[in-house]
Amino acid sequence: MKTDELIQTLSRDLPKVEPGVVARRVTMGLGLGSLASAALMLAWLGPRPDLAQAVLTPMFWIKLGYAAITGIILAVLLTRLAKPAAKPGALAGISLAPFAIVAVIATMGFIKAPPELHRDLLMGHTSMICPWRILAIGLPVLLGAVWATRSLAPTRLRFAGLAAGGCAGGIGAAIYAIACNEASAPFLAIWYTLGIVAVATIGALASPLLRWR
Amino acid sequence: MLAGLAGEAEPYRQLLHELSGLLRSFYGRRCPPGLDAEDLVQETLIAVHTRRATYDTGQPFTAWAFAIARYKLIDALRRGRSHLRAPSEEADALFVPAGAEAAMAARDLERVMSALPPRTRDLIRDLKIEGLSTREAAEKYGMSESAVKVAVHRGLKSLGSKYGGIGLDED
Repeated sequence: MKTDELIQTLSRDLPKVEPGVVARRVTMGLGLGSLASAALMLAWLGPRPDLAQAVLTPMFWIKLGYAAITGIILAVLLTRLAKPAAKPGALAGISLAPFAIVAVIATMGFIKAPPELHRDLLMGHTSMICPWRILAIGLPVLLGAVWATRSLAPTRLRFAGLAAGGCAGGIGAAIYAIACNEASAPFLAIWYTLGIVAVATIGALASPLLRWR
Repeated sequence: MLAGLAGEAEPYRQLLHELSGLLRSFYGRRCPPGLDAEDLVQETLIAVHTRRATYDTGQPFTAWAFAIARYKLIDALRRGRSHLRAPSEEADALFVPAGAEAAMAARDLERVMSALPPRTRDLIRDLKIEGLSTREAAEKYGMSESAVKVAVHRGLKSLGSKYGGIGLDED
């Protein structure tokens, strides 16, 4: 087809575009993925048995908040990277802030604690399975993120994949926090972060899936 | 573009027309051999159209459109590379004969040599292929040097008369 004919054809088929399509699409992908992840968590692990008491402790909210805020910041970043000529701007730096804050809280808690507790604070009793569980629970969210992103127009695929993975890792970890009964900041800083980074890595490796025509 | 997003056909058509000119010069300079610049122009126009919802109204239109153009170019190069990889069986054929020829030569040599008496065959192999000196071969087989020379000479002569003009000169 001649280019001029193509232009004629394209401009004849011109429904009005509502603003906010990108944000809605990303929200939908992440929302559907999160529902699947929550269902997976409930069927597989179930909420922690002492949930009613746990919600009264600050540590429960620090864990949940750390993961959720990381996920939300990266979701905003992903929304930008799903568009051509995206400028991540300060957001890329801001997305590292939760990690830094939790690292500071964890270090302070670790230093103040008596040495005989150090091992427990670091390793808890689920350190070897926690990152894997976050990875598994994060994957459905990552699928949703990939589906949404590739239906838009990312032009920096590796970066977008990394943001999608990090966002899915954060949301997955937040969902896992409802099942997990660890209560130490050093544990959170190490093993939750490791789980989030694992999902982010998979997102970056899966970036060819974001290619669109 | 704003008019286009609002669904107004004429300004949108004009925009695409101007963009196609810009894209033509963009790809004209960058398009590698084997890729059709006009195909890329059309693909980019289609992408601009189908993904127009990803354009932020506050953003410069050209920056947005050229980010898509760049993406399309990279995408085409990636696919081009996989096209080049696809006929790898033909490419293999370019490399295989080197090994195959040597193997066939070795097999031919084996067959030719098997026509000789065993001792002569061993002598020819040691002297002409392994590169032993006449004296070393003589010691190895407990023969005199002159006997070695005679055996090799006869062996080569019989090979020469059988297969004609191989050009193995003695020594």
